Amino acid sequence: MKFRIDRDALADAVAWTARSLPARPPVPVLAGMHLEAGDRLKLSAFDYEVSAQVSADIDVEEPGTALVSGRLLSEICRSLPPHPVELTTDGAKVMLSCGSAKFTLMTMPVEDYPSLPAMPPPAGSVGSDEFAAAVSQVAIAAGRDDTIPMLTGVRVEIEGETVTLASTDRYRLAVRELHWKPERPDFSAVALVPAKTLADTAKSLTSGAELAIALGGVGGAGDGMIGFEGGGRRTTSRLLDGDFVKYRSLLPSEYAGYAEVQTSAFVEAVKRVSLVAERNTPVRLSFSQGEVVLEAGTGDEAQAVEALEATLEGDDITIAFNPGFLLDGLGAIGSDIARLSFTTPTKPAVLTGKPAGDGANPNYRYLIMPVRLSG
Amino acid sequence: MRLVIAKCSVDYAGRLTAHLPMAPRLVLIKSDGSVSIHADDRAFKPLNWMNPPCTVREEAFEENGAIARWTVTHGKSGEQLILTINEILHDVSYELGVDPGLQKDGVEAHLQELLAEHITTLGDGWSLVRREYPTAIGPVDILCRDHTRGTVAVEIKRRGDIDGVEQLTRYLELLNRDPLLAPVRGIFAAQEIKPQAKVLANDRGIDCVTLDYDALRGIERDGTLF
Repeated sequence: MKFRIDRDALADAVAWTARSLPARPPVPVLAGMHLEAGDRLKLSAFDYEVSAQVSADIDVEEPGTALVSGRLLSEICRSLPPHPVELTTDGAKVMLSCGSAKFTLMTMPVEDYPSLPAMPPPAGSVGSDEFAAAVSQVAIAAGRDDTIPMLTGVRVEIEGETVTLASTDRYRLAVRELHWKPERPDFSAVALVPAKTLADTAKSLTSGAELAIALGGVGGAGDGMIGFEGGGRRTTSRLLDGDFVKYRSLLPSEYAGYAEVQTSAFVEAVKRVSLVAERNTPVRLSFSQGEVVLEAGTGDEAQAVEALEATLEGDDITIAFNPGFLLDGLGAIGSDIARLSFTTPTKPAVLTGKPAGDGANPNYRYLIMPVRLSG
Repeated sequence: MRLVIAKCSVDYAGRLTAHLPMAPRLVLIKSDGSVSIHADDRAFKPLNWMNPPCTVREEAFEENGAIARWTVTHGKSGEQLILTINEILHDVSYELGVDPGLQKDGVEAHLQELLAEHITTLGDGWSLVRREYPTAIGPVDILCRDHTRGTVAVEIKRRGDIDGVEQLTRYLELLNRDPLLAPVRGIFAAQEIKPQAKVLANDRGIDCVTLDYDALRGIERDGTLF
């Protein structure tokens, strides 16, 4: 194998692929990055859960394959000088030269490397930036501990042209709807994708305008998998088992009222006031006509109070939230004005952006459970 | 166990010299001869102490307002702890008897009992064969059958470490020799599973399950959506 490649192209491709290298490889070859030089260079990494493959333009002199330590290659590529890079295999070694820097890497047996899972059948495509934004809005609400594995996933529901993403950790629930272009107009599918993988993938596949999603293999190839492809990068992930919570029934159907507050001022105020909130203690929000008073801390401890301008539709209400959860939601709504819709101080409230017009449905909803106030 | 609260000063003479000025303190003299001097704070470390083997010699000592002097001498090194006592405020002795020791595996046993009771936590349609299923190398925590009637051995730990996976692997090897049970699948269940243990378990085809002690005990979490 012998080829030349642009330094930045190699560094980008290697860095992206290296994200899928397993932290604790059960077999040594999985710590390797697979290089295949043909018309283009193909780099792959695989940890039995997630696979990543990227292709890049090269000047190939001699096609071939090699398997080298992925960690090491990515560290080397990150710090190469700005010159074209040449990679050559020499027996059981790979030589990498860039300007005056030369590296010799040991290779691992290519034939021991597992073959990457096949992509499931293509299901449709979605704007990559919109998808990345949608995933980041939803993934924040996913659970992080393994007690209930189902909660560490993002539920993806596809019904024709609508994709609904949802995740919850039992304290909050984030739901986002977006449009996409399915291969078939009657396409429908559901999947539970590990939230961390989905968030990382969506964020890193924004180089192309469109992101192709592959899903819904039954039996045979791609069963229990989801695939994403965009900008020369493709990745597959195994899906989580289990039924997701029937989350739609958790969303209140009607509200007693709602309040609107300017998002940036609200975020700043919550951050300030929550400085005195001990761990697991809430920030209390008292809404009245024209204003909301934020308070934290009780009795013998430090206390903080701040008042903000707000509009209230409905009766005065005092409701308390975990400040971390509230801030996550405010950061995700992606709107200048935040709307908090509520029924009672003990029932879940819904955080959304202010709808564009009357009756317009917000495409993102963040349901948050209030903290019950004692006394 | 003898508890003494006394106004005393303490001098230690040995590898180094230390002096505690006159103040009221708690002195514990335990049945093995050890002596420790405590201040009124913190739970674990005495101000000064002498480990056994040691002897305590009490003598009258009248100087500068003192009434007694206790000398604790270490049997081997000869190091000395000298307590000069001005006033004894409290002095009682109790016979405590033999201590049963600290039980750290109480939670583990309870987890086993709870999981056996709620075996469907592992999956719908699962049924319990028995707890403490005997094998030649010791009992398996739980033996159960999954929804397809396949045999599953469950090892329960509080903290899931690599040792637990090894233990389960040994049981599985033995259980799989029994034609009535084989094939036997393994589940490693713990409240918290170390990443290394997870990798080893997955590599050996053993599933990992994180247990929620509170949920098993039926303690409901407040303020959740469902």
